[in-house]
Amino acid sequence: MAISAATKAATDALAVNRAPTSVNAQEVHRWLQSFTWDFEKNRTKYPTKYKMANQTKEQFKLIAKEYARMESVKDERQFGSLQDVLTRLDAGNRVHPKWGETMKVASNFLEVGEYNAIAATGMLWDSATAPEQKNGYLAQVLDEIRHTHQCGYVNYYYSKHYHDPAGHNDARRTRTIGPLWKGMKRVFSDGFISGDAVECSINLQLVGEACFTNPLIVAITEWAAANGDEITPTVFLSIETDELRHMANGYQTVVSIANDEAASKYLNTDLNNAFWTQQKYFTPVLGMLFEYGSKFKVEPWVKTWNRWVYEDWGGIWIGRLGKYGVESPRSLRDAKKDAYWAHHDLFLLAYAMWPTGFFRLSLPSREEMDWFEENYPGWYDHYGKIYDEWRARGCEDPSSGFIPLMWFIENNHPIYIDRVSQVPFCPSLCKGASTLRVHEWNGKKHSFSDDWGERMWLTEPERYECQNMFEQYAGRELSEVIAELHGVRSDGKTLIAQPHTNKNGKLWSLDDLKKLNCVFKDPLQDL
Amino acid sequence: MSLSSNAYGAGIMAKKGKDFADEYFAEENQVLHESNEVVLVLKKSDEINIIVDEILLGDRRSDNPTLVVEDRAGYWWLKATGKIEVDCEEVSELLGRNFSVYDFLVDVSSTIGRAFTLGEKFTITSELMGLDRKLEDLKS
Repeated sequence: MAISAATKAATDALAVNRAPTSVNAQEVHRWLQSFTWDFEKNRTKYPTKYKMANQTKEQFKLIAKEYARMESVKDERQFGSLQDVLTRLDAGNRVHPKWGETMKVASNFLEVGEYNAIAATGMLWDSATAPEQKNGYLAQVLDEIRHTHQCGYVNYYYSKHYHDPAGHNDARRTRTIGPLWKGMKRVFSDGFISGDAVECSINLQLVGEACFTNPLIVAITEWAAANGDEITPTVFLSIETDELRHMANGYQTVVSIANDEAASKYLNTDLNNAFWTQQKYFTPVLGMLFEYGSKFKVEPWVKTWNRWVYEDWGGIWIGRLGKYGVESPRSLRDAKKDAYWAHHDLFLLAYAMWPTGFFRLSLPSREEMDWFEENYPGWYDHYGKIYDEWRARGCEDPSSGFIPLMWFIENNHPIYIDRVSQVPFCPSLCKGASTLRVHEWNGKKHSFSDDWGERMWLTEPERYECQNMFEQYAGRELSEVIAELHGVRSDGKTLIAQPHTNKNGKLWSLDDLKKLNCVFKDPLQDL
Repeated sequence: MSLSSNAYGAGIMAKKGKDFADEYFAEENQVLHESNEVVLVLKKSDEINIIVDEILLGDRRSDNPTLVVEDRAGYWWLKATGKIEVDCEEVSELLGRNFSVYDFLVDVSSTIGRAFTLGEKFTITSELMGLDRKLEDLKS
């Protein structure tokens, strides 16, 4: 575009007679490297089996002054929008109720990942020896603190402005009841901070951030906007402006070990394990949140996954590294099957176990069922018929005396929990890449749903000792557990979780549940 | 919708139902394929909208004929073959005020490829920076 004569005159004048300014940020960055601090000989609390080079560069050449300026601008824009225009527009109440419930899970669980990433990148700072690499990790520590606050703020904002704040306002207390929580801890906590430092970087930065933050933090904003939510794009797109530096940190971690001949012994196994660990949880959970937690659909989840995970992360990030010996994850075939079906499998179980959530779920409407069948041929015969039966039995109505979990018991479809990922699965119903296998070790039975987790467990069983919900609550009655774990609203009896999002629908209470006399049982006891 | 192979809905994404599934599960798609594309996600803002409209799709359009820009609600999604570059000195000239590469980074939401800054220039490339080509420092 042509610029105006006045602007050009001013620009030309400034070019000749520059006003005194500070030194260019990247000159400062270069100068800082001349300190040549001897990190190479430092001892580390978090060793790695890889040898990290100490000449690794940093792609964005950050200095503290520019970093602080950037982040303060981001925060001013974000909080300015939220507290000013979005509040004036009553944005919180314009969100479709199905999506408002989805954000109870999405922002709360992302906060867990951000919180653990603070420790993860601190650990990486300690392990790296290259000053520039340390600088990149240090900025990431600060970013992760910012992101933790931002995610918490989304829940806080919804608590103030959304018509049904229960779940947003106390998610940290109530999120632990249900089966989604422990899988989240596995993927967003253990995977980021337990074990070899470089393996943690592969989990956090190379797979978690370079791959799954794109659907989780970028693509989700399209779904949010389509469902009337202007809050989430404002916050999540701001979070993601830091993630690109984190992706670069993950790439530079690989660069730092690329010339270590021993790296080839471990890298492909670590990458495959990290990919499977991350996809095993994110693939079904994100697909479920997007497709079943929205009124207005953007595109089938499998297409989003194919774009961001397979084509872009796979082709651009990993595919280009082939000549350095980095292989396509061996678990990819199973992951692709999961991307097509596993979120449907998970919703079936999540809806059956709805009382253990801290959010409301609703069955797909007739219009949505048509959408599912059109995009996932065969969906209705496998899943849709079951939902029609549940609906006919009055699953939404507290006076029906029916929760879908009873249907699983009546029809002999036992639900197990995968020991490694902590993701529940029903082998007799699932269409994703799950089949039951059981091992006995240390006086205890362990169920697994796939080759990849089973293999990880066989290598290090002590790493996956977390009790699952069936073991934890065995013999306990459902309403008693929910009351004990604060899964109720401020009246002390109405459940936070509900099997519908109808504002005028009747709400289930602890008394309604108690009448059903549902008692937790570990299905492995019968094997 | 753009007919370019870089478009959001190009290739397999243009297919539906069984046609999509057949290609998605086809044997040749069970391993990752090397790609020479890059993706850039830019958060919408006054400055970014101007950069997209006036520079990437304006003055610099001929530099990158493979570039596709799509409106995805809160952000612009860009995809190109090889690389995308934004020179923030040009942006400063256009805006009539100082706009550094770090100002640009405020609204860069995601990158797929190798992104880096050198001076006031932001680049995202499919090259393996640090492996195939060295990352440079600013020269005095």
